[in-house]
Amino acid sequence: MNFSKIKEQIIQWTIRQAIGHSKRTVVLSAIATILMGSGIRFLVMDDDMMKMLPKNLESRISWDEVQNEFGSTEIIFVAFGSEDSSAYSAHALDNLWQLSENLQLLESVREVTNINTSTKIEQHDGFMEINDLQPSEKLARNEIDEIKVYLNKNPKLKRRLISKNENYLITMIQPESGFGLDRFRNDVVHVADSLLADYEIHYGGTAYVTGSVPQLIRDDVQLLIKAGLIIMLIMLLVNLRSLKAVIMVFIVIIPSLFAMMGFMGWAYKITGVNCFLFALLNTSMPIILLTIANSDGVHVITKFFREFRRLKNVETAIEYTMESLLIPIFLTSITTITAFLTMISSPLEPLIGYGICMSVGIAWAWILSSLTLPAMINMVPWDSTSYSIAKPSILENLASFFSTIVTRFPAQTFSIGVLMVVLGGIGIQSINVDVNVANFFKPGTEIRDSMDFMDREMSGTMDLRVRIEADVRDPRILNGIDSLQSFIQQNENISVTYSIADVVKQMHRTVMDDSLKYESIPSTREKVNNLFTMYYMSGDQDGLSSMIDHDHETTLITSLSSIMSTEDIFSLAGSMTTYIDEHFFGAEKISITGMIVVIRDMVLMVIRSSLLSIAISVILIGLITALFFGRVIWGALSIIPLFSAVILNFGLMGHFNITLNHITAILSSIIIGVGVDFAIHYISQFQKLSKIKREKNVTKDVVKDVGYPILLDAGSNMGFGALIFSVFLPVQYIGGLMVFAMISTSLGTLTLLASSTQLLSNYVSKRVL
Amino acid sequence: MKTFLLMLIPLAVFSQSGREIAEMIENRPAPDDLINQTVMILTNSKGKKRIHKMISKSKNGSEKQIIWFMEPKDDRGIAFLKIEHENRDDEMRMWLPAFKKVRRISSKKKSDSFMGSDLSFEDLSNRQLNSNDYKRLEDAKWLGRDCYVLETVPKKESKSNYVRHVSWIDKNHINILKEQSFNKKNKLEKEKHFSYETRGEYQLIKKVKVENLLKKHATEITFSDIVINSGISDKLFNDISLRRLPLE
Repeated sequence: MNFSKIKEQIIQWTIRQAIGHSKRTVVLSAIATILMGSGIRFLVMDDDMMKMLPKNLESRISWDEVQNEFGSTEIIFVAFGSEDSSAYSAHALDNLWQLSENLQLLESVREVTNINTSTKIEQHDGFMEINDLQPSEKLARNEIDEIKVYLNKNPKLKRRLISKNENYLITMIQPESGFGLDRFRNDVVHVADSLLADYEIHYGGTAYVTGSVPQLIRDDVQLLIKAGLIIMLIMLLVNLRSLKAVIMVFIVIIPSLFAMMGFMGWAYKITGVNCFLFALLNTSMPIILLTIANSDGVHVITKFFREFRRLKNVETAIEYTMESLLIPIFLTSITTITAFLTMISSPLEPLIGYGICMSVGIAWAWILSSLTLPAMINMVPWDSTSYSIAKPSILENLASFFSTIVTRFPAQTFSIGVLMVVLGGIGIQSINVDVNVANFFKPGTEIRDSMDFMDREMSGTMDLRVRIEADVRDPRILNGIDSLQSFIQQNENISVTYSIADVVKQMHRTVMDDSLKYESIPSTREKVNNLFTMYYMSGDQDGLSSMIDHDHETTLITSLSSIMSTEDIFSLAGSMTTYIDEHFFGAEKISITGMIVVIRDMVLMVIRSSLLSIAISVILIGLITALFFGRVIWGALSIIPLFSAVILNFGLMGHFNITLNHITAILSSIIIGVGVDFAIHYISQFQKLSKIKREKNVTKDVVKDVGYPILLDAGSNMGFGALIFSVFLPVQYIGGLMVFAMISTSLGTLTLLASSTQLLSNYVSKRVL
Repeated sequence: MKTFLLMLIPLAVFSQSGREIAEMIENRPAPDDLINQTVMILTNSKGKKRIHKMISKSKNGSEKQIIWFMEPKDDRGIAFLKIEHENRDDEMRMWLPAFKKVRRISSKKKSDSFMGSDLSFEDLSNRQLNSNDYKRLEDAKWLGRDCYVLETVPKKESKSNYVRHVSWIDKNHINILKEQSFNKKNKLEKEKHFSYETRGEYQLIKKVKVENLLKKHATEITFSDIVINSGISDKLFNDISLRRLPLE
């Protein structure tokens, strides 16, 4: 028994199930979908972005070391006060005291830093006194004045604790390890909002934004997906002009989505593996599956309409439709599944689950569109004289127009297509990578305004850390740290830096009778050591624990800055590395870290991995197509629209300054998922028609035949252009690029692929015959 | 009648209230002065150790105390003098050999850790009877000894960093053998273990082990070469003594 015979037997069996046992097929697939979908109750949302960061990344290792030694570096900033009144008031400081007390009671909070919890080191009646900056809850005027005088004397500390105009009090909150930033953020906001209702409150910091973003994006995307589905429904209704046909398309796509999410829930329930948690990166899964499942349903329905118009018999029309589409739908599903399964090699856990669950969803859509959809068509009465079936739709006419242009001017069509790809491709070199979540928000949104306010009025909310392994008692090292801080401070985005060198200088000055000329690093190691010991005897080891480790072998410089793009961070980190190489001697190891650096490295890794995944997918798709259609040329031709659309999309991002990040990078998956469908349907139909028609007419008929479902599919998927109304810039970009991806993949197939087959018609047709 | 009296004994002991147990601890006899060598071993979460050696002389239950730092090498020569006053802040001075200066220092921060150890000044200081509420919990055995179990809850005005302590007190010697301290989040933060040496009527602490369960740090303090009631003069507790390292 040969391969084509087996293929034929499977096709006939499938047709028998759909036509001969329609009810049974529908009931069985409904039961299976419900069983699979019931796993949705085990679906666990995970908004902890930290879980997705790969543990083997060098900057992550260094960052983990920092967190182990000094606690989490990611902080939430809370500023409260009022534009018109001074923050140096008994009432505000009383509220600050309450805020600290309540925050310190939270399990997710490790440390709170503000005027209330800070320490002062000063010379007092001949004593070196280390004491609380805010001595009590209720303060007298003179005590408030003392705080003011002390902060004015210590401008670096002041910048961290009170706004430039002295009307907002700042609190920095560090999370306890083991708690997700989402939970930490919610706890902090709940306490601050309930205690500080009388004030203007502003929040900021990478921990705040990172903790807020996943839920906000998910809510936003959920709403826009619904809008996208409505637009998709309208597009299908306008073109199919039959409500029951549109409902049938939706009966393929919605249960596929339900089954995919259910599978994810079951997979997590059974395996407990983190990759099956529904994280921020998984937010795009429903959109991608909906576009792919829509393609399958649209091809079946439009094909049925055309065959029914021609044959006037439902069963025969279904039979013809299935004979014609079962193989291409199987092939498109198998190639798309292959493309998604390449994500298993991703360095990010959520992307592994992403690839597996998408594959299940696509397989489900394949079964529903190959078996259930024809069975449902068979169960419903159709009228061949109805307007929707008898008359071609607008898009059908547009497809006919394309077929004429392509066959009449194949060389010109091909040249224009290639030129557009080349021109678009030039933009690739201008692509910027920006992964700073703060830049996800447009100016004017509440979160962005709050962060901008903090940048303007305070010391900024972004932090960058330098971890230094060295003998911190050595004055040479302390002077090196001091110089490095001065260098970092020269950057216009940096508002303040602090480190153990500042504390040593302050203690030195205090010990030397508060003489300003001694606000320097002492000259000998013994002196430095004496200062440390004195601090520990009179102060609090914990007061230094965010700057220096237990053994004085590792220390940390913290820089606070306004919001910077990843490009700016790259540039600053680069100049710091050069400075360290040229001027900082004696340290064993120096590394620049912070969540923003880790995310930057992670995204670069994701992009590299995505590009590799795209390349592997394209090659695999080419190989599968070549194998299945029996010729290398078909493999090569199938990847033309994919390749062109990917280049055009990334090029467009460069031209329009759309930044590349972990969210916009997923667009390539949509392009491949949808683009491969179009190409395979085209090739399959071409092969079929070339067996029975003259070679010169084949292209025209193929474009007419598959052009309509391709244009309808692309047009209805453009409903997800609704994402353009998102408040998040990357989601907006996805909305815009989605529309462009649909245009580029459909036109790529109907122009580049079609003109190629027309130009090569002698070659490709002859060999088939 | 005899049987009846015997039955009353455990009742009498059980009737001891939490406050009374705390008073019993407070009223234990203490030597007039004390000299010892102290070895403090700090162990961080990675298991790395730092060792300090000191010589301490104190009087009147540490009302006056002088400590000379002998090890590590970096600290050798540093000395610390503390004189407690009833109606004003304690007087604390340090000799900083590298600066050749005596500096007076002051700290009112109760939570400060002593020399970077897991013991805070609050842990080291005697608890004021009236600053806490006491509750006797069910008696228990610890290391084979019958113990009172006492819960101490600091009053709000004492501004403690703990919400409660639970102590296991040896019924025989009224020594605290073990104590658990719960932080403001009511999480067990520190567990302390004490061992004692009996010298006449005195119970002298030989070793204290403190584990900070949240930070995963540990501190072990061992007191050796203990000399009691040697007649230390008040004159010892001055700036001049700070500069003179005693013989080890």
